[in-house]
Amino acid sequence: MKWFNYLAIFTAAICITVFLYRLFYLLSLGLPKDLSKETGSVNRGIIYSFTGAMSPMEKESAYLHLPTYTAGMLYHLGIFSSLLFFVWVIVTKFVNVTLPSFVTTAIAIFLVITSLAGFSILIKRVVSKELRYLSFADDYISNFLTTISLAATALYIFVPGSEAIYFVTMALLFTWMPLGKTRHLLYFFFARVHLGFFYGRRGAWPTVKKS
Amino acid sequence: MKPKTLNSKRELALELLKPGDDSKLLTSLNSCVRCGLCADSCMFYKALKEAKFIPSAKVDLVSSLYRRYYTTTGKIAPKLFGAKELDDKMEESMIDLLFGACTMCGRCVKHCSIGVDIPYVVRRGREMLAVMNMVPQSLQSTVDAAINTGNNMAIPEDEFVDTIKWMEEELIDEMGDENARIPLNEFDKEVFYTLNPREPKFFPLSISAIAKVFYAAGESWTLSSKFYDVTNYGFFNGNKVEAAQIAGYLYDEIKNLRGKRLILGECGHGSRAHRWEGPNYLKKSYDFDNITVVELIGEYIRSGRIKLDKSLVNEKHTIHDPCNLVRNGGLMKEVRFVVESSVSDITEMTPYGEDNFCCGGGGGALAMSEYNDRRLKIGEIKANQIKATGAKIVITPCHNCVDQLLQINHTYKLGVTIKTIAEVVADALVISK
Repeated sequence: MKWFNYLAIFTAAICITVFLYRLFYLLSLGLPKDLSKETGSVNRGIIYSFTGAMSPMEKESAYLHLPTYTAGMLYHLGIFSSLLFFVWVIVTKFVNVTLPSFVTTAIAIFLVITSLAGFSILIKRVVSKELRYLSFADDYISNFLTTISLAATALYIFVPGSEAIYFVTMALLFTWMPLGKTRHLLYFFFARVHLGFFYGRRGAWPTVKKS
Repeated sequence: MKPKTLNSKRELALELLKPGDDSKLLTSLNSCVRCGLCADSCMFYKALKEAKFIPSAKVDLVSSLYRRYYTTTGKIAPKLFGAKELDDKMEESMIDLLFGACTMCGRCVKHCSIGVDIPYVVRRGREMLAVMNMVPQSLQSTVDAAINTGNNMAIPEDEFVDTIKWMEEELIDEMGDENARIPLNEFDKEVFYTLNPREPKFFPLSISAIAKVFYAAGESWTLSSKFYDVTNYGFFNGNKVEAAQIAGYLYDEIKNLRGKRLILGECGHGSRAHRWEGPNYLKKSYDFDNITVVELIGEYIRSGRIKLDKSLVNEKHTIHDPCNLVRNGGLMKEVRFVVESSVSDITEMTPYGEDNFCCGGGGGALAMSEYNDRRLKIGEIKANQIKATGAKIVITPCHNCVDQLLQINHTYKLGVTIKTIAEVVADALVISK
């Protein structure tokens, strides 16, 4: 392995350690203590929070903004794919396994599409007056780093000679992830749990449709 | 000139952002990605079209302080991570946007792409301002009145008793029954009922309406002449000590009168403050039933304790869902069950239920006269919703909503009548003599 391989593995390890620390800390705090009498079901509320409540038909942030929502979904699918692919690449450094070329080509094409989605979100942030008002450096850096990590992964699949670029890009992303707003990777799940807890115990979730 | 203790007050305010053991706070302060997609779910942004009204911007006022004072990155590179100082400018923005531009209706929460509990963050911001004595005076005086007199309109006890006696005479006449009563301060009753002080002050007929329902149901009930106020503006001013004191008034009074069930009158935030927040304010579970009057009327209908004839009420109705009862209280189905049992012609607003827009009077907005223009401007969204239904009567189980809807009715010339649920149920009652 070369220096950039070690760099990426080292930063990934630090990133995972920080996220795990935060994960266990949040888990140790548990759910809020609530002394009011429950009329609904916390469990049903939490399940709904991750399922029905996430449906694009339930959220104005989705159905009123379909192009952005679609780009966002693709972008996030791309991020998870590229992170999984990174794990695979590291595994191949130690174990002699390969993926069929049509699979890697499909992944690369998908990542090109998702990086374009990420880029479009970045452009929107730059162009929109409202989004510029909400944004500061972290917003642009987080979006940019994540987007180029997708592009660098695709490039690495198509052009293996770009290995150094790929690993350095991933190292930058892993360094930034726990620091920037990219940390919502962890907090998102806790936010959904808290919503499910809040609305579930009051019987507001799962929602009731008028018969 | 700022008081000398300003810095220590700021320190106390910032203490409220210390992550500590509050998982929900820690989560909420770290989750927002500032995608801005919440903008269209907020009536302030929709009506006023300024970026500062986007819910995410309100969250950022509070989370930027958290980053500045409680994260290493925010301390080292504040500009990079959007970390901001708690200074005069920040305090002004917090007062204007957290008190004056958010009713904490929670509509943005459901539609947030992440699921950040935005009103929870806004409330924490209000708590910070409360610690710094920066609650708008108009709102604070409402809380002070409740603390000092037992009701937020400072109605003297003898005036309240006179109103109740007057309503009792009306009830006796209407029912033709000398035994019809509006009991005061009676012990060991099944129902300890509560009112919004706007009822004795401005809308006494809503008291006679619920009294008529209780009469028809043969309920054993009482009001307290001293502690009947279901509202709790401590829920809005961010002062948990005051909120607990107000919640404690009802708790102590039901214990004093040995009531069996605390029935929360038609008030959205009051119901929430006592039903869901009260036990947490007082740090104890209630050992008595604590439900809203909508649920109680629902019980009467299901059990056959009252009979309704919805053909008695023929005009077109619509329902305004109070945020704290429906979206944040889970009563969407129950409200419709009671209304559909009472009136024959109902057209829902678009959207309705948990997606319904706030009337604009929530979050203490009705008490904050300095934001009246803004409140009426955002009310245009509700006015348009009502107009689109073509309804002549708007039903809402919340006296604060009634007040805002009355003002919207006047401002936007809707020509509708606003009624509470008890009033429409009373109109549909079939009372066998």
